[in-house]
Amino acid sequence: MISFILRRLLQSALVMAVVYTGTFWLLMATPGDPFIGNKQPPPAVLRALRARYGLNNPWKAYFAYAWRVLRYGDFGPTISYENWTVRGVIRQTLPVSMALGSLALLIALWAGVAAGIAGALLKGRWPDVALTIGTLLGISLPTFVVGSALLILFCVDVAVFPPGGWGTLRQLVLPALTLSLPFLAYIARLSRSSALDVLSADFVRTARAKGVSRLKVVRGHILPNSSLAALTYLGPAAASVLTGSFVVEKIFAIPGLGEVFVNACLDKDIPLVLGAVLVYTFILVIMNLLVDIGCAWADPRIRIG
Amino acid sequence: MKRTLLAPSLLLLLLGAACYRLTVGGAPGRGAIVFCEAGQIHTLDPAKMTWMQDIRAALALWQGLVRYNPRTLAPLPGIARSWRISSNRLTYTFYLRRRARWSNGAAVTANDFLFAWKRMLHPATGAGYVMMLFHIAGAKAYFDSLARHPEDHLSFATVGARALGRRTLVVYLAHPCTYFLDLLAFPPFFPLNARSMQPFAYRRGRSGGYQPRWTRPPHLVTDGPYKLIGWKFHQYLLLRPNPYFWDRRAVRCRRLLIANYPDAESAFLAYQSGAVDVLSFVPSDFAHALLREQRLGQRDDVHDRLVFGSYYYLFNCRHKPLNNPQVRIALALAINKREIVRDVTRLPERPLNVLVPPGSIPGYRSPRGLSMNIAAARKLLAAAGYPDGHGLRRLKFLTDNAAAINGRIAQAVQEMWRKELGVRIRINEEETKVFHQDMVHGNYDIASAGWYGDYMDPTTWLDLFRTGNPNNLSGFSSRRYDSILQRAGRTVHSVERFALLRRAEKLLVEKYMPAIPLFQACDGLMYHAARIGGLSMNVRMITLLQYIHWRRNRKGIPAAGRTRIQASDIAKEHKRPAGTPP
Repeated sequence: MISFILRRLLQSALVMAVVYTGTFWLLMATPGDPFIGNKQPPPAVLRALRARYGLNNPWKAYFAYAWRVLRYGDFGPTISYENWTVRGVIRQTLPVSMALGSLALLIALWAGVAAGIAGALLKGRWPDVALTIGTLLGISLPTFVVGSALLILFCVDVAVFPPGGWGTLRQLVLPALTLSLPFLAYIARLSRSSALDVLSADFVRTARAKGVSRLKVVRGHILPNSSLAALTYLGPAAASVLTGSFVVEKIFAIPGLGEVFVNACLDKDIPLVLGAVLVYTFILVIMNLLVDIGCAWADPRIRIG
Repeated sequence: MKRTLLAPSLLLLLLGAACYRLTVGGAPGRGAIVFCEAGQIHTLDPAKMTWMQDIRAALALWQGLVRYNPRTLAPLPGIARSWRISSNRLTYTFYLRRRARWSNGAAVTANDFLFAWKRMLHPATGAGYVMMLFHIAGAKAYFDSLARHPEDHLSFATVGARALGRRTLVVYLAHPCTYFLDLLAFPPFFPLNARSMQPFAYRRGRSGGYQPRWTRPPHLVTDGPYKLIGWKFHQYLLLRPNPYFWDRRAVRCRRLLIANYPDAESAFLAYQSGAVDVLSFVPSDFAHALLREQRLGQRDDVHDRLVFGSYYYLFNCRHKPLNNPQVRIALALAINKREIVRDVTRLPERPLNVLVPPGSIPGYRSPRGLSMNIAAARKLLAAAGYPDGHGLRRLKFLTDNAAAINGRIAQAVQEMWRKELGVRIRINEEETKVFHQDMVHGNYDIASAGWYGDYMDPTTWLDLFRTGNPNNLSGFSSRRYDSILQRAGRTVHSVERFALLRRAEKLLVEKYMPAIPLFQACDGLMYHAARIGGLSMNVRMITLLQYIHWRRNRKGIPAAGRTRIQASDIAKEHKRPAGTPP
């Protein structure tokens, strides 16, 4: 187990290095200059700004940024918000995205598994059909449609919730719901199909034949198996809930990392993009590792090593 | 089930709760006037500001030697209680107020100004507006020497600014500058408190460098009406009155929250729901409907006006065929500007035939400019060798995709040119940063552009076409034009000077046409005057937050108007490919 974790951590470090390299050179290849805006300062000022961010020479910058992040754990000041360092920005915005993302995943996990099992138990009847249509909609409707619709419905037409912002629990409800929807739908499908597998398994038929009640079968056999399917999906879901929160954050004016990240890409804010990408990579890698360990711990059939 | 469902749920719950606790701090908005900006604060370092929201915040936090009259923007005594100007208009002597204090209680001295200006003039500071300081004698030479030899440069004593004692500041100008007092009220000329910044100076090498933290509360020390209490990244600035401010009694707002929303739609929604009290703009997507409601008497909270900004199309004058003024004038004459304002932008903007918005600078009379004339346009194009557009290649038209209106105006103009002249263009809508890069590198034929004047003088526009100005992106160069501007720069007498500038502008808009003026922009604020007082509108939309206050009788708030945001309005704004979930 320990050697497995160590090996995976080593692999993760390699992945981070590759991602850093790829992101850096992609940023160098994309058009746009972070220092050129609507008003042009004298060329000497532009030169000095480039020198401050070490961007006069790409190769030097490549190693300098890598050194900075290894030595200080920071990429230094951002370009578009020069009073904040990359670490400062991430420290202020990542917890916002994580709080929102955790709530969304929680909703997706419970509602998804419940809906999936219900669909499997009532296979072919109208609730199952409704569920299939609902999950199809949930997966295919983009968040900007769902978010805007919820916003108009519950903030403008019936003013139940405040229209975005951050600071109270009530402001969290609509964005979390919006964000959870595609994941909820996906988890519902996953757990429905694995519940169907289990339902037709011999041991379930045996249990039912022995007179075990339906509820007990659901609790003892179906729930663990279908939530295991959801659990394996949580790793990638956690990562995409964070990276995908941009639209939701923008619609509901939530000061999270997603919005900052996309604007940093548009502004060609090289240190900030690098920082955000590495944070996202780190979360993805760690979540996958956690889920692998979690699955081995939860499912006796899985062995790690 | 415990392991597969409950354990991960518990983990998520704990994680979410912990993160939420970390990010939520008190209720900063309670009792505060919430002033809302659609855009984030980029910097609170007055030397480096170029964004309007940063400048508005700076004007609430700092005060220069001179301050603006909130309505007319005429210079009023600020930190300087009075000043004397020599008869040749080259020497300004400022007498600082005895009562002028920093927010930490220390006196504001002449040296605080010199410290800030010296820092600004260092290229390594990266000050966007550094050229404004070049009016001071020796400042440009000092900057250039630092840029060339960072180690072995001129001494700051060569720059024409001296402190005579603690409260007298003498400034020697390189040439007469009739609007110099106006500049002094602008952030680049604000003083800085050197002592409070000292702990953040980088220890070795990098001169002029400070760790970014010096601008953050509680470290930031300012000399204006408010001091900075809180700054949450991408959320808000919290301001409270500076107890040491010399005019403390004029500051009637006890808590001011400058809230930053990511875009105009979410800010407008927040305003409609009552979460914010003042919007720093009129949302352009809804402005048409809002103004109609206002005309019908259904609302009275839209305050808009024509401002000191113009929207124009820039020609790349370096290459064929647009290096020929005849082609440029022909294209200009074929645009129906009235139709653009009436049918495309649908806002109370004013069609323009000149670059400097007429009537905004007292004493300056604009030239007539050329109005639409299709027959003349065709004749000119034929004379240039392109009858009915034959032989003319398809021109590359560049615009910025940050605002949808740019693309719509471009399409209208594309159709006018095609129909009237047979000239075809290819519209490229680019990301803002790519757009600016292409503009600077001259990688375009025609580009959309907008400019807001930085000071009340025609040269804030006319300098854009001067040879050698880094902001001259058109590549336009005329010795005659430059020499008129140079003569105007040496002229002290304002009537004579304005006559020269008028001649220069006349050359631009009637003879050379390096840019087609389209319309004068309008801008505004949204707030209920029955609730909030002390805000005034001026032509540069420099909203001074110093005087803002609650009205005593806050009841009887007019109901919000009927303009409703449609889901599609928000959706279309967010229809971007990036970051959509699986």
